[in-house]
Amino acid sequence: MSGLDKFSEKVTRRVARATSRRSLLTLIGGALTGAAVIPVLPVSRAQAQGHGHGGGGDPIAPQPTGNPQDPGDQTQCDYWRYCAIDGFLCSCCGGTASSCPPGTEMSPITWIGTCHNPADNRAYIISYNDCCGKSSCGRCLCNRNERDRPMVRPQANNDINWCLGTESAIYNCSTAVILGVALDQQ
Amino acid sequence: MQSILRGAAFAALMWSAGAAGAAEYPQPLPEEPVPTVTELPERYPASWVFVHDLHFNSLPDGRAALVDVGAESHHLRGQIPVAQFGNILPSTTRGEIYVGETFYSRLTRGERTDVITIWDTKTLAPKGEIVLPGGKRGLFVTLRNSLQLTNDEKWALVFNFTPGSSVTVVDLDGRKILSDIDLPGCSLVYPTGARGFTSLCADGTMTSITLDAAGKPGASVTSEAFNDIDDDPLFMTPAMVGRTGWFVSFKGNLRAIDFSGAAAKDLDSFAIPAQAGRDPEWRPGGWQVISADRAGLLYVLMNPKGGEGSHKDGGTEAWVIDPKAKTLVRRIALKNHSVSIEATQQETPLLVASRSDGSLDVYDAATGAFVRTVARVAHDPMTMTAAR
Repeated sequence: MSGLDKFSEKVTRRVARATSRRSLLTLIGGALTGAAVIPVLPVSRAQAQGHGHGGGGDPIAPQPTGNPQDPGDQTQCDYWRYCAIDGFLCSCCGGTASSCPPGTEMSPITWIGTCHNPADNRAYIISYNDCCGKSSCGRCLCNRNERDRPMVRPQANNDINWCLGTESAIYNCSTAVILGVALDQQ
Repeated sequence: MQSILRGAAFAALMWSAGAAGAAEYPQPLPEEPVPTVTELPERYPASWVFVHDLHFNSLPDGRAALVDVGAESHHLRGQIPVAQFGNILPSTTRGEIYVGETFYSRLTRGERTDVITIWDTKTLAPKGEIVLPGGKRGLFVTLRNSLQLTNDEKWALVFNFTPGSSVTVVDLDGRKILSDIDLPGCSLVYPTGARGFTSLCADGTMTSITLDAAGKPGASVTSEAFNDIDDDPLFMTPAMVGRTGWFVSFKGNLRAIDFSGAAAKDLDSFAIPAQAGRDPEWRPGGWQVISADRAGLLYVLMNPKGGEGSHKDGGTEAWVIDPKAKTLVRRIALKNHSVSIEATQQETPLLVASRSDGSLDVYDAATGAFVRTVARVAHDPMTMTAAR
């Protein structure tokens, strides 16, 4: 557990840094904070975002939230909460942006980012919990690497399978859960 | 029904065609024995490359392809399972291939077992396994330096991540675990000296640990900080020239680390010579972005659209660097956007560039001339390791 505690401490400190005014400004400027949660394919971003995973073909049917304060399509990488996500979007896999697909287990160890909601102009702290215990979903791969750092700094690395502390380490997909409003915006 | 009729008509056609040719071929084709299974040479030619397929769409079913990139045909020579964020590590002296992998007893659930599976180079059949205790083998997009050999290839080093870091030392002859070494704040293993390893650490330093004859940790030495992780971090996979590891950074600085002694030594860095035509900037990009040939020339996969977050975007050129003269020898324009590169260890080396569609483009490394495409050898060709 000491390893976990140490890790949590690092994550907490990272959140503190990520919620500074400077990073909020950067975010509003369109950049991303933090990195993410799960393994990504090092394919060109254009390819990954253009086709999702599995290459080409018909698009996934859109899933708007229906809430004007939570705008966007939850099957698309450009949905505001996914600003620091990496992996298969659970919205496309039987779950939602904030819940795991049926029968999977949500990882308690996560990566965290700060994303700007264009509707209410607030910055939210988003927790990218992985869903674990079933094999790769295979739909809606998102691949973002801004501020990602190599494995030498694991807490900033999105190549790691964050299905840690779960019954099974098998990775299925990633969520983007609202933890709260970033302090600077309150 | 229609297809049966069509099949019968086809058979009749073939029969009459056969009858017409019988005089020409008085002897029928010989009978062929069953079962027959192909074997490989014990030592692979230097034109062969191990291509690790992460298989992101089905991670428990990862694998590696053994590909002859120098041949005119029969490129795919065999496959080896590499399950669940596994690693593949060919020995250069033991006639064996080691695979670090993770299984669950019910595929995605049940009891977890981490193992090193031992494969025979000639038969490509499994000949044994060593169970790794603790269910802690590091699971992440494959990096060659999470499984390495030391002590004249008698021992394997396995990097663990829980998220606490540690290294398991494995005796390959005795097929047993020798030790587990905690490695707080450091990642991966770079074989160092006669018997030991170095890890890169989150504070920008590296720590070298010597192992005693029993595989237990002895002296450790931590370097000065040299890896600027915030501003210009090193990619984790070096190109090895002898015992010197050449690392390249996100912004295109090359740094040599000497792993020949008991403690790794930073030999300093130089920048890849700047080039025009940046849009906005040439930077290394991809997964395995640097490789070396036998002559010690370095090949770096370069992306013209470099910037923060571009480091895994792949590249469109391979730049050939002479690290002794610190010069850019040549730029190789790649036919396709590529993910990883690897130079073969032939006298006249080939440069292999893997594509996100799982195909390999092969170039003459000395001239940059395109040689061939080997189509669809993997789903997600991440790391490549040339036979040596």
